[in-house]
Amino acid sequence: MPSSTSSSEHMIERVVPALPWSGILIAVILAVAAAVVAWELHCRSLGYAPGLDDTNDLWVEARRSVQPESTVIVGSSRGLFGLDLDVLEQGLGTRPVQLALVGSCPYPVLRDLADDQSFHGTVIIDAVPGLTVVPYMAPPYKNAEKAVQRRHEQTWSQRWSHLLSLPLERTFACLQQEDLKLSVLLHQLELPNRERIQIAPALPPKFSTIDRDRRTRMQAQVETDQVLRDRVKYGWAPLFTPPPKPSWIPDQAFGEFMGKLFNDRFVDMAKAVADLRQRGGRVIFVRMPSTGDLRQLEEQLTPRPVVWDRLLKDTASPGIWFEDHPELSGFACPEWSHLSAQDSVTFTQRLVPILKQTLITAPQ
Amino acid sequence: MLFNSLTFLVFFAVVFTLYRVLPGWGLRKNLLLGASYIFYGSWNPPFALLLLLSTLIDWWLAGRMGREQNQARRRLWLTISLVANLGFLGFFKYGQFLLDNTVALLALVGVDYKPANMGILLPVGISFYTFHTLSYTIDVYRRQLVPTTSLRDFALFVAFFPQLVAGPIIRARDFLYQLEAPPLPKPGRFTWGLFLMTLGLFQKMVIADTLLAPTADAVFAHPFPLAALDAWAGALAFGMQIFFDFSGYTLCAIGLDLCFGFHLLDNFRFPYGAIGFSDFWRRWHISLSTWLRDYLYIPLGGSRLGTRRTCINVMIVMLLGGLWHGAAWTFVVWGALHGFFLLAERGVKSLVGGAAWASRAPAVTAAWLATVIGVTVAWVFFRAPDFGQAMKTVLSMAGAFGAQGDRIVATRELIEVFAVVAVVLTLHRLLRDSSIEAVVQRAPRVGVAAAWVFMLITILLTGGNGNAFIYFQF
Repeated sequence: MPSSTSSSEHMIERVVPALPWSGILIAVILAVAAAVVAWELHCRSLGYAPGLDDTNDLWVEARRSVQPESTVIVGSSRGLFGLDLDVLEQGLGTRPVQLALVGSCPYPVLRDLADDQSFHGTVIIDAVPGLTVVPYMAPPYKNAEKAVQRRHEQTWSQRWSHLLSLPLERTFACLQQEDLKLSVLLHQLELPNRERIQIAPALPPKFSTIDRDRRTRMQAQVETDQVLRDRVKYGWAPLFTPPPKPSWIPDQAFGEFMGKLFNDRFVDMAKAVADLRQRGGRVIFVRMPSTGDLRQLEEQLTPRPVVWDRLLKDTASPGIWFEDHPELSGFACPEWSHLSAQDSVTFTQRLVPILKQTLITAPQ
Repeated sequence: MLFNSLTFLVFFAVVFTLYRVLPGWGLRKNLLLGASYIFYGSWNPPFALLLLLSTLIDWWLAGRMGREQNQARRRLWLTISLVANLGFLGFFKYGQFLLDNTVALLALVGVDYKPANMGILLPVGISFYTFHTLSYTIDVYRRQLVPTTSLRDFALFVAFFPQLVAGPIIRARDFLYQLEAPPLPKPGRFTWGLFLMTLGLFQKMVIADTLLAPTADAVFAHPFPLAALDAWAGALAFGMQIFFDFSGYTLCAIGLDLCFGFHLLDNFRFPYGAIGFSDFWRRWHISLSTWLRDYLYIPLGGSRLGTRRTCINVMIVMLLGGLWHGAAWTFVVWGALHGFFLLAERGVKSLVGGAAWASRAPAVTAAWLATVIGVTVAWVFFRAPDFGQAMKTVLSMAGAFGAQGDRIVATRELIEVFAVVAVVLTLHRLLRDSSIEAVVQRAPRVGVAAAWVFMLITILLTGGNGNAFIYFQF
């Protein structure tokens, strides 16, 4: 009988291949170190520099810093790029927490704040009309939902991995995950696709930097490098254009389904705002600048009266539309969608007085 | 704490360094036990208490069984162990499932019952450590194993972090004796352990997560009918993804154990080289299939009680095996399909008997391809979130929607998936009677070093995506 105190039977002995393992290990370490150095130098020669990645863990870190009376920025990349936290702190007397997420719908984060019973602060919503009303199954909604989910499910191990990754990201340029990780590099292999293929449009290359508090700035190269600028600029139209109607659903049924989703979003937003307001919170919507063909496309797809005006009406909230204020108009977005780093400071300086005035009258 | 995380890298470095420098075997075992509970607690600390409770119950009951001569009392102690362990598993894993099905049944007879949401969280790895501990008490009851007097050793056997959350399912008889004395030094064992860990992480992070998961995820999330090519790409991608994900985890566990001087049995043996479904189950998740064989199939009578009863036993084992993977009817269907395949194979074998043509290359190749196709179709039910999605995918694979099916897999992804499939099928077919150790032993040392460098560089290039292993949810 096998026994825990007798090892005469049931002996398991895995075979170790008879190779000079010490020599192999040393050779492998040296070769991998050399490859990492070469890859790092190559990445730097392409213009990449060490810097933080905008991960959901970084977002969770910011979310955890939200205090009951914090001012919080919710929305998408326009809020990330265009609102300077230092200027807002000087103007508002409190440093806002940056919770906007690239390419995302503001609703999931707003709902998370509304569900947070301790929170009764101020929410500045960078509302890109097309992203605000995006259906729940679309990637912009999922992006925000995943970040919120991470907040609720993040383990201690994931938290430690995030903290350990920060010094590495600040040291190595090759850790810029948006452009240089394997899956993204494979995506760059452009092969002809079959007819009628339905695949998501390509995301723009990395063109920003982010700080620990998630202050995000457009890289200066976007203004000087036309190739990079055009890659970003001409990538917006397919990203902002909704996918074609599925052929499997009749036109009327599809129209009714999407119409319901569209209307439900206004109802949900109004409910979230009301929940916040009930606890003393304040909400203000801001329409950040966009320019060029993209501005026209946005107005065509999501006309102001259909989305923005209804959003303010249904949520009974104040809003700041950049074109309504001469001092906020006239900024040229280098790639049509975001303010440059320099303009973001000027824009925020001009926004602050309007923001303060509007907040005074904002319902609580 | 995931093997593919920076936290684990630091955790392993610290634990291994202390393991090497601490004097005394007892202290080193204390270290491993403490580290294992920290490892497990990093998911959800309170669940470490459940693990401890399960450990204490089985250690105490097995001790009683070992000393007890009265058979009725021994049976009582075993029953308590089974009820306690399966009770925990049943409550945490199947509680909500049972409640949902009860509500659905009541609705069928017109009763509108709306219970409060139980909000049960599934303790990670509970299916695995429950089977670890059950094998111990059952073996002691059968007098096939003398119970250990050391609570520490038993607790370490149950909780040892490499195999705690996703197996392989370890038998006490295969592990407890390794805790009696410190492992003897063996040249190359540590480095070979590191090599296996690298291979496991490469399988998980590069092949499963980077090359295969995007296609599988897209296909199984698409709400509309698909073109046959896209549906097959999704099903095959998942079939390969789950192999590389789970096999990768197992290789990490085996490699980690070797680094500490312990030895685990194989859990996979080139399963896509299987010729027939019974062969497949001798190569896929071996620790589960042998567990079910020894503790369920054989006690039910195995194949000793006639054809009809054998068929029933096979179906019971496969249905429960399916349910072990998850609390959903789709897993039951997956198990039922495999049960049906196994019975059909028995039928075919009894018909063709020992015919000469049956062992010739064309018939063997046909049996191999039939196995791959059957296993792939069954994976659809394993992966799909519900029956509707599963049936839509199977119909799409059968070409039911013709040219109207949606095309959602890009050319690049098709190439990635079918290249992996071609390589895996070829290698598994060629190496089905071999092992990783034998392959590495025959390879030139420069080739081994180059492969290791390639794996490490591609792992680094993935950026450490930190996706959880699929089997963690079971």
